[in-house]
Amino acid sequence: MKWRQTNRLLLLLLPACAFLLLAGGSLSLAFMESVRGEGGFTWAYYSSLFGRQELIDSLLYSILITLSSTFVSLAAGWLIVRSFYQYIDGNGKWMVWIPMLFPHFVWGYFVLLLLGQSGLISTFLVQTGLLEDRTLFPVLVQDQSGVGIFITYVWKEIPFVILMLLPVYLQLPKQFKEVNAVLGGSGADWFKTVEWPWVKPVMFETSLIVSAFVFTAYEVPGLLGVSYPQMTPVLAYEWFYSAAQDERTMAFTLLMFVALIFGTMALAGFALMNKRRMLLSKSSHRY
Amino acid sequence: MKKNLFYISCLIFFIIPVLLMVIKSVTTPWRSGIALDWTLRGWEVVFQDSRVVESMWTTLLIALAVALINLLAGIPIAKALSHRSFPLKNTLEVILLLPLFLPIMAAAMGLHITMIRMGLANTWLGVTIVHLVPTIPYTIKVLKAGYDRIPQDMLNQGRMLKAGTWHAFRTIELPMLIPSIRSSIFLAVTISAGQYVLTAIIGGGSVLTMPIIYYPFLQSADDTVMAAFSIAFVMIPAAAIMIAEAAAMLVAGRSFLKRMSVL
Repeated sequence: MKWRQTNRLLLLLLPACAFLLLAGGSLSLAFMESVRGEGGFTWAYYSSLFGRQELIDSLLYSILITLSSTFVSLAAGWLIVRSFYQYIDGNGKWMVWIPMLFPHFVWGYFVLLLLGQSGLISTFLVQTGLLEDRTLFPVLVQDQSGVGIFITYVWKEIPFVILMLLPVYLQLPKQFKEVNAVLGGSGADWFKTVEWPWVKPVMFETSLIVSAFVFTAYEVPGLLGVSYPQMTPVLAYEWFYSAAQDERTMAFTLLMFVALIFGTMALAGFALMNKRRMLLSKSSHRY
Repeated sequence: MKKNLFYISCLIFFIIPVLLMVIKSVTTPWRSGIALDWTLRGWEVVFQDSRVVESMWTTLLIALAVALINLLAGIPIAKALSHRSFPLKNTLEVILLLPLFLPIMAAAMGLHITMIRMGLANTWLGVTIVHLVPTIPYTIKVLKAGYDRIPQDMLNQGRMLKAGTWHAFRTIELPMLIPSIRSSIFLAVTISAGQYVLTAIIGGGSVLTMPIIYYPFLQSADDTVMAAFSIAFVMIPAAAIMIAEAAAMLVAGRSFLKRMSVL
């Protein structure tokens, strides 16, 4: 009986293990490419990574866009869920889903069509006489500072943040609110002892997913970016398709470096949060 | 008051942009002072281009294959993570989520040479496999949450009544999982249909999905055509959901129809 039980479990785990092999294998292959020099194994590409000014500029630019868009979409998404979760759960859900239907680059194109210098808003302003000429409209898309990329990400990630946080608010045990009131707790007490502990693990996970995505996706900066500075995924993509073998290897090095940073952050964060997460997930379907 | 504020913001930020795009796709570019000129040219250009139509089929088939593999891999592990206890369970769950926090471009570039050696580069199968990397972690998350909502007692009751694994799955788990299955199909399809870089690297330009055609189309800078093409992206998840609903109805019976909520 015991043997059969264990075997059943293995059967359940098998497809997921195949997936781990795929994901882990592909990353290891990428790592092997990043340490392959002419004479065999070398760390040289890692040490030369920061010798390139274009990479430093690209990293700073990417960090700025990633931090700002992650922070704004998380804050806005959280605020929206906190204030409106009863309505989102009802008829509002399909409206929040709308941006999820479109790929990121299509939404980026929407932003370009709406906010570009020859876009709908500038045309509208010129037609109504509020603006003399469309060249006076600020360059918001395909701009040096990445405002267009920022707007696209915030717009597209807010619904994602809402969908991640919505179940948390729907599952917040109502009884705790009564307990808090009976014990004479204030709104701040409720937030500190009930709301935040429930929200924190999901907030952490969501912020990691969003920031890792923004930092590593090619599509939006490839469409809305300028030629200098470029976000790191665009740089990595160009290096990967460059004719020079060195540049190709640098693409792998750069991506592995990014993977290492985000991987460490994720693992450390989950290790710190695991116990609490477990307690929460154990209790969540009892209410 | 609060309710109206929510609906108005949704209208401004989510519905109006899409409506503007729909209008844009059936009008000529807006020149000062003149009223809108209606035209079907944008949609004609998109649908008369045989490459676009072909790319829609390719995108849809790859997305459906990705969604199917996602369910086949996701349902068993979600059940194990939710209703079994075994050593290193939490660690396994974190590791399975990890691909969401890593650059998927690295996975595609790493697989590239192996795919060439195995003859999978430039094929739809290779593209399908690489699309699993960003989708399966979401599916596992969604389905695990779905299994968490099924009380263990209910599964025990099935076992007490001597239901076999398949029978119990079909009559207890599947009906209760349907909202989660629906959202994981939706997620897998929209993520797969929106991949440019993974498809470009592994497909090498010979697997033509919609994103691969969309980027060169951008150069044409014809707003009417681009707007039509952009709206056309909605057809992929819509078609996929309808096909999945029909397939699920065959497996799960009519109970599928009764549960129409999305999450």
